[in-house]
Amino acid sequence: MELRSKKNILYIITLFIALIIVGRLIQLQVFGQQEYGKESEKNAVKKIIVTPARGLMYNRNGKVIVDNKPSYTLTITPYLFEQNNLETISGLAEVEPEYIIEQISKATGTNRFNPVKIKRDLNFKSISYIEENRDKLQGIDYEIEAIRVYPDNFKASHIFGYTSEITEKQLSEQSGSYYRQGDIIGSTGLEKQYENFLRGEKGVRFITVDVKGKEVGKMNDGNDDVKPLNGYDLFLSIDSELQEYAEKLLSNKKGAIIAIDPQNGEILCMVSKPDFDLSVFAGSVKPEVFNNLVNDKDKPLFNRATQTKYPPGSTWKMMMAMAGLSSGKITPTSTINCPGSYTLGNRTFKDHGSYGNINVVKAIEVSSNVFFYKLSVMIGLENYHYYGKLFGFGTKTGIDIPNETSGLLPSEEYYKKIFGPQGHTAGTLVSLGIGQGELGVSPVQMVCYTAAVCNDGLYSQPHFVRKIKNNITGEEEFIKFNQRRIELPQKYFDLVKRGMYLVVNGPGGTARGIKSDEFILSGKTGTAQNPSGNNHSWFVGFAPYDEPKIAICVLGEFMGWGSQFAAPVAAALMIKYLSGQEEYNESAGNNIAD
Amino acid sequence: MSEKFVNKFDIILFISTALILIIGFVSIYSATHSTPNGADFYLKQIYFGISGLGIVILISYINPKHMSKISYFLYGLSVVLLILVLLFGKVINGNKSWFYIGGFGIQPSEFAKITTVLAIATFIGGSEEQKDVNKLAVFIKSCIFVVIPVVLIKLQNDTGTTLVFLSFLLPMFFWAGLSPFALFVIISPIILSLLSFAGNIYFYIGLLVILIALFTFKRNVYISIFAFILNFVSGFFVKYAYDKLEPYQQKRILAVFDPASDPLGSGYNVIQSKVAIGSGGIAGKGFLQGTQTQLKFIPEQWTDFIFCMIGEEFGFVGSGLLIILFLILISKMVSNAYISKNRFFSLTCIGFASIFLFHFTINVGMTVGIMPVIGIPLPLVSYGISSLLSFLIMIGIAMATYRYKTVYNM
Repeated sequence: MELRSKKNILYIITLFIALIIVGRLIQLQVFGQQEYGKESEKNAVKKIIVTPARGLMYNRNGKVIVDNKPSYTLTITPYLFEQNNLETISGLAEVEPEYIIEQISKATGTNRFNPVKIKRDLNFKSISYIEENRDKLQGIDYEIEAIRVYPDNFKASHIFGYTSEITEKQLSEQSGSYYRQGDIIGSTGLEKQYENFLRGEKGVRFITVDVKGKEVGKMNDGNDDVKPLNGYDLFLSIDSELQEYAEKLLSNKKGAIIAIDPQNGEILCMVSKPDFDLSVFAGSVKPEVFNNLVNDKDKPLFNRATQTKYPPGSTWKMMMAMAGLSSGKITPTSTINCPGSYTLGNRTFKDHGSYGNINVVKAIEVSSNVFFYKLSVMIGLENYHYYGKLFGFGTKTGIDIPNETSGLLPSEEYYKKIFGPQGHTAGTLVSLGIGQGELGVSPVQMVCYTAAVCNDGLYSQPHFVRKIKNNITGEEEFIKFNQRRIELPQKYFDLVKRGMYLVVNGPGGTARGIKSDEFILSGKTGTAQNPSGNNHSWFVGFAPYDEPKIAICVLGEFMGWGSQFAAPVAAALMIKYLSGQEEYNESAGNNIAD
Repeated sequence: MSEKFVNKFDIILFISTALILIIGFVSIYSATHSTPNGADFYLKQIYFGISGLGIVILISYINPKHMSKISYFLYGLSVVLLILVLLFGKVINGNKSWFYIGGFGIQPSEFAKITTVLAIATFIGGSEEQKDVNKLAVFIKSCIFVVIPVVLIKLQNDTGTTLVFLSFLLPMFFWAGLSPFALFVIISPIILSLLSFAGNIYFYIGLLVILIALFTFKRNVYISIFAFILNFVSGFFVKYAYDKLEPYQQKRILAVFDPASDPLGSGYNVIQSKVAIGSGGIAGKGFLQGTQTQLKFIPEQWTDFIFCMIGEEFGFVGSGLLIILFLILISKMVSNAYISKNRFFSLTCIGFASIFLFHFTINVGMTVGIMPVIGIPLPLVSYGISSLLSFLIMIGIAMATYRYKTVYNM
């Protein structure tokens, strides 16, 4: 092809493009001027992001326990904001001027044209003031947003968790671009775990505004708007009455309670004390309030039900019995001589009683230490670790709230790491046998273990959420949680359960004080030795004996023997759940060592 | 003005450049004068624009002989800078393509455009014998010059600039004598893949047309069959790949072609920009009188959406004038390429003209709502020092092409 033709082709292409654009300009500017002129007169279209309401939470009876209410959020559009209004706004929002400046300065680039949320839950007086002084308050506005309310008489602070404003770090690390500065995101508990379900999808509204930025109407009658989609609702397994009662029984104490339905792992109540009031997080949490919570020496933000690691004490003995029987080191009829102490090398380990030759059932009933000292040495560390793992220790239970601990279930490797190449000694095993020493368990692990024992080996993943409801389609989805069977002989489970029955109902039982005429309660007391103060009181139990409907674990920090505090609390809660009666008898706590 | 001066100095290119620059100054002033620190924007642009015109004149004295000698070096240098910016650059608007030196942001990718065009022009037309681009080895080697910066810029997450690099290669091949058949084999699969989105019926009609075209070319049977299969496969593969994507990824791609499908994002700007331009009417609302633009309904309207400003405040008359100026400017660059006896400068000029045309088409097309939203500036008008200077350098070299039109390759 000749160069001249090529030149002409390029001329034609350029001219062709220019003509298309000119044609389009004629369409827009010559023929479209009236239409677009009107549009720009009313004018100016502004895009408002509409935040959806978070999904609600219901208790096991279908009653709302986490609700929303409308609240006013003060916003500033940085681009329009005038510095001389800073003092006024600081007064209206009750925040420091420096804070406002900081918030505005975070909005860069195109964000400067979008409103920045400054303060949530603004009072009505401030709203009226803004409405009356719009002309002076350029760029200052408010939005209606939903914030959390908790209608019931309990806190459940560690269950629901709180939401908070998204941090800069979270913003920059998010996958995708859903969140913007000032958005709310679940920070702890169910709010965090189920954030993607609860948050919904944002919508957008196009409005026309006048020169002062005041709304004058909808653009295109709202046909271009995208409706926000509200979050999905969570249906929880929480029993409100039980939760409230459990919080009451543990008030002014430190510790944790968790109860589950042993058939399926549904959590009926969970308390960690001290706790805190979630409603302070609903609007804008005041920095000093938050700092007080973080710095409180009693750690109210810490979830003792899922995050503590204490030795389980004698509540561990069912585990030892199952391990001894299943590994063949003892039989149902074999007996071990239990004088008042056990000597190994030059060390003597004490017991709180002398029981003579007893079998494994009796050993659980009276909580003999010598029996389990000897049994532990017999089964060895490898079996100890194997069976411990089988009952869910040393691993996370998979409870559906974040930051669970996996606890500590020692193995040979562990001891080699801390003691050096020689590993553990027989003396180590003696302590481990009665649930002391280098063993760390959380209340949620304990309740799952108890449920598995009372249910003949069916181990269920503990969870709060039964089903999730999609509010747009109305569909309900049941969440599938894991269940596994611990394959050990039925007769061994029967023996261990018999022992737990006798703990409460036998003549020598360590928790005989909580025996109930109405229901057959079963369980096991435990005491975690605490070198730096009073011991921690444990109780795990289930009821009714023949057909368990509830499994429970109570931990009272610094409350002494298991029989002293944890057992009567657990008994009261089991009876409450089964009958609705509240009959807590503090004096049922007898001072029986375990 | 002596005849000799006019014969050496490309007065048409210079004046149209200066006029476009002035329109840019006025628009940026109008877009930013009421923003805090607005003076930073328009004063900087005016300062660099005017001193840039001086640079244009200086560059117009560079002899092609010297230029082609250093073009590989310049290309290598800009590749190094692209690597450095990936490692040490600053992220702005999601693109890691900036260096900050004493308060000024510098974008190496803007200058890489120029050096890549120069390198390819040197490779094909810089030696005594022009290379035959119909030879596969020459063709592939030329492509590699583009692939290297494209990969580096894509890694900076700057899709708009990446596309610019793909825009000048084909026109340069065309100018260097690539056969119409080869052009057809390259362009038809692209068109066919786009057609496959419009629906199966369009895809098959397109395929039929291509089949007929291949017959009329009367080329080697095997090559024709290969070209047909290439078309067929690319059409199917693109659609198949698209269907395999997650819905949110599909949504993102759709939004490029149909802004209304993403009203939360880019669609908003296009709605606003159409209202701004349309409401300007024939004569415009007048300088500083545009309500759309003065009320800042279009974010950062002094950069990629600057054409709204002109459309609203100066109407059809103003925007038409700007389009005519661009038409003159681009045609003059093509004309310089045509009259030049120097193959290296001639090819360079075509490369630069393509870059101007591509920027102009995409940018103006986007603001009037007939092109996908791709963030690239309007040459010489949009605010941005790196892009302003790089376009002025191109103009300078196009003017040098005019001055040294009789200097043959050695």
